[in-house]
Amino acid sequence: MKFIVEGITKCAPRLGVLKEIERHPNITLETPMAMLYTRGGSIPHITNEVFKLITTKSQIIQIPLVSTYNFEDVMTHYNGTIAEFVGMKECISCMTVQDPGDYTQPGHHVQDLIPLWTRHGKVLLNAKLYMILVELFKPDMYYFLSDGDTNIASPTKRVNKAVQNTVKYYKECIEIHKNSKILKNSFAMGVIAGGYNLKARKDCMDVVCKIDSIGGYLIDGLHNNGPEVEFLCAEEIKPVVEYIVENLHHTKLKAIHGCWNPVTILQLIKLGIDLFDTSYCHIVTERSCALTFSLDLSNTEEAFELNLRQSQFADDFRPILPGCACLTCVKYSRGYIHHLVTVQELLGPLLLTIHNVHHYTKFFETIRECIRNDTLRILEETITKQFNLYQNGVKEKRDEDEELNSTEVVRDEVNRTNEDNVQIPLVPTC
Amino acid sequence: MSTKRSPLIFNVLAECATSKARTGKMILPHGEVNTPVFMPVGTQGTLKGLLTEQLEKLDLQIMLSNTYHLGIKPGVEVLKKAGGLHKFMNWNRCLLTDSGGFQMVSLLKLAEITEDGVKFESLNDQKSEIVLTPEHSIEIQNTIGADIIMQLDDVVKTTSPDNARIEEAMFRTTRWLDRCLMAHKRNDDQNIFPIVQGTLNKELRTASAKAHMERDVRGFAIGGLSGGESKDDFWRMVHLSTNILPKNKPRYLMGVGFAVDLVVCCALGVDMFDCVFPTRTARFGCALVMTGQLNLKQKTYKLDLNPIDKECDCSTCQTYTRAYLHQIATIHPVSCHLLTVHNVAFQLRLMKNIRDNIVANTYPQFVQNFMYNLYPNQNYPTWVVDSLAAVNIKLLSI
Repeated sequence: MKFIVEGITKCAPRLGVLKEIERHPNITLETPMAMLYTRGGSIPHITNEVFKLITTKSQIIQIPLVSTYNFEDVMTHYNGTIAEFVGMKECISCMTVQDPGDYTQPGHHVQDLIPLWTRHGKVLLNAKLYMILVELFKPDMYYFLSDGDTNIASPTKRVNKAVQNTVKYYKECIEIHKNSKILKNSFAMGVIAGGYNLKARKDCMDVVCKIDSIGGYLIDGLHNNGPEVEFLCAEEIKPVVEYIVENLHHTKLKAIHGCWNPVTILQLIKLGIDLFDTSYCHIVTERSCALTFSLDLSNTEEAFELNLRQSQFADDFRPILPGCACLTCVKYSRGYIHHLVTVQELLGPLLLTIHNVHHYTKFFETIRECIRNDTLRILEETITKQFNLYQNGVKEKRDEDEELNSTEVVRDEVNRTNEDNVQIPLVPTC
Repeated sequence: MSTKRSPLIFNVLAECATSKARTGKMILPHGEVNTPVFMPVGTQGTLKGLLTEQLEKLDLQIMLSNTYHLGIKPGVEVLKKAGGLHKFMNWNRCLLTDSGGFQMVSLLKLAEITEDGVKFESLNDQKSEIVLTPEHSIEIQNTIGADIIMQLDDVVKTTSPDNARIEEAMFRTTRWLDRCLMAHKRNDDQNIFPIVQGTLNKELRTASAKAHMERDVRGFAIGGLSGGESKDDFWRMVHLSTNILPKNKPRYLMGVGFAVDLVVCCALGVDMFDCVFPTRTARFGCALVMTGQLNLKQKTYKLDLNPIDKECDCSTCQTYTRAYLHQIATIHPVSCHLLTVHNVAFQLRLMKNIRDNIVANTYPQFVQNFMYNLYPNQNYPTWVVDSLAAVNIKLLSI
């Protein structure tokens, strides 16, 4: 696999392509892009049959080890790749350690082992154990084992330990990778750890960036994954990401994972990040919402997001987003989806996932087009404006609710959970 | 102007020379249905996580939805505005709705039955009370717009010892049928089926069937069975009902869907079936196969790289192994979708086999082989032996 990037300016939005993928020679992928988030090997709610019904140009599936660790035994008996095993052989697989859509419990480190919180309890990994799993899974791309258990509040001691672990794993993983016949066609990526401490990040890069054979880097350790990442604001992460990108070779692929909101995604793209994931779509779907932010630079009428549980949609037979070409919008109405999510039918989140992943993929297509036409700034303004309007609306509604609730003595819990009052997260303004 | 086409045309295409089995074609406003047919249950206007595109690919011709549930949510007003359930759920093929009567049995503690109708306490919404009269049931079903709709019936548990209550329910069902027929506003594009009641009482069931045959209807349902009675009683009631009901109209046995029951009841001359079992068992991680069902959570499947069924051409069996399904079953919703696709495909394939064998006049041999595969030690249940013997099919003993 090769990554070729256009432009040489560091810390600037850039276009690139991933091509000459050994198992998929005919696929060329354009960056910036989002790989398809999976849990237990499947895109949440989407079977292979449905996947084939929905055309999506993004064809990397992200396989977090934490939700697939239990496949170890069967993969030792299975000759194929992880993509084949999970029924997604038409996709390029990328193995990651943690699950960006799920909160990673911090701490619980045992010496230099990484805790992995699987369904069946805690598993401790070191580089050797990890690389055995990578060889079993035979992914098209993967990241070396890293210690990403840091966030903005991490103490220096934890940050330094994370770097120490990550550097150690890096050295061991690259040795095993070089000698592995099975992985000779897998695109390996190094990991930069070190929280928000620039010195620690430098220490990590000093080792990890020494070897030129590495095709790309993951910037890890910015957060502990899960829905909270949506609330992180770009201003907080910008200095550290900028510092890392400045010090990385510009030709290398750069990835950051997590459920970032679209405004933050744009900021990261402006810093030169190439690769993301669709875990954001998952958390939006889980709260019964649909992404509707405008991708048309001349049109800002749509709301940023619709909460399909709200009773106003009960008899609204328009598509989620008029004009959207996804299967959900072409065939199904807001009213029907409202019905499905209020009666908790499985088809509800399925239809929302189809739309949300489609919309998010379109978002990245639009980003690439805007980079090409040098109109990214307009897209950023449009989406940021919509986002802030939406957040203010949510904030106002919440304040109103709080006022109401404080005067109300008895609250009907059943009605609260049923409709209308599903919590919409509020992103702090920075 | 020419006379309008009947909303139900039923033609028997072939009859088994040995048993009462028959295969036919039913033409309904939203398309053709080949019988005998199994109708999967999409209670709330959706078939358990499957897109209608997937259902068409499975070649599903008709599915069932529940009036009781749809009447509560999304409610009549929304369905009216949507232009009926077909449009609301994006399904252009045939639909059948029950009347809400069956929910009486399952929710009896919360319901009060009078001559007027059934008073329910809604489960979903604590405050509201719903009175379901025959007129109201038909009104809702007229709004839903299914091709076949069911009369409201007074259902008594087959295990009930109260003979007076059984008799009352049987006669009331017929009175309610007349009220349903009176209330029916879309006789040109919706078909009401009466329901033969009478629990396990031969005389009452006979009287019920005969009374309903006097009405101008296009098909019949056999109700009140599959509710905990013994299989010996069950098949005798089906046998008795199909002996009485006219041959030129479809017969629908409500709530039956296990493979053995389908094979036997087709031999007894039933044309239509419905059951939640195939889709429900899927959500518990179980996959249907000709020899029973596989519980994919079991450790034996952990390293099993075979598909659920090598003979099955459903999208699940074409793509996924038992080992992968073992990993995700009951954990990730995707596993429900995958097993639901397979289980619906299984039911449809079984029914196609049944139809093909009736056409080829090989149905008795099909039944013999089916039962032999299911019971290789020939320890056939008595009810299976007896019921099939009643229609001249003798099981293999080797």
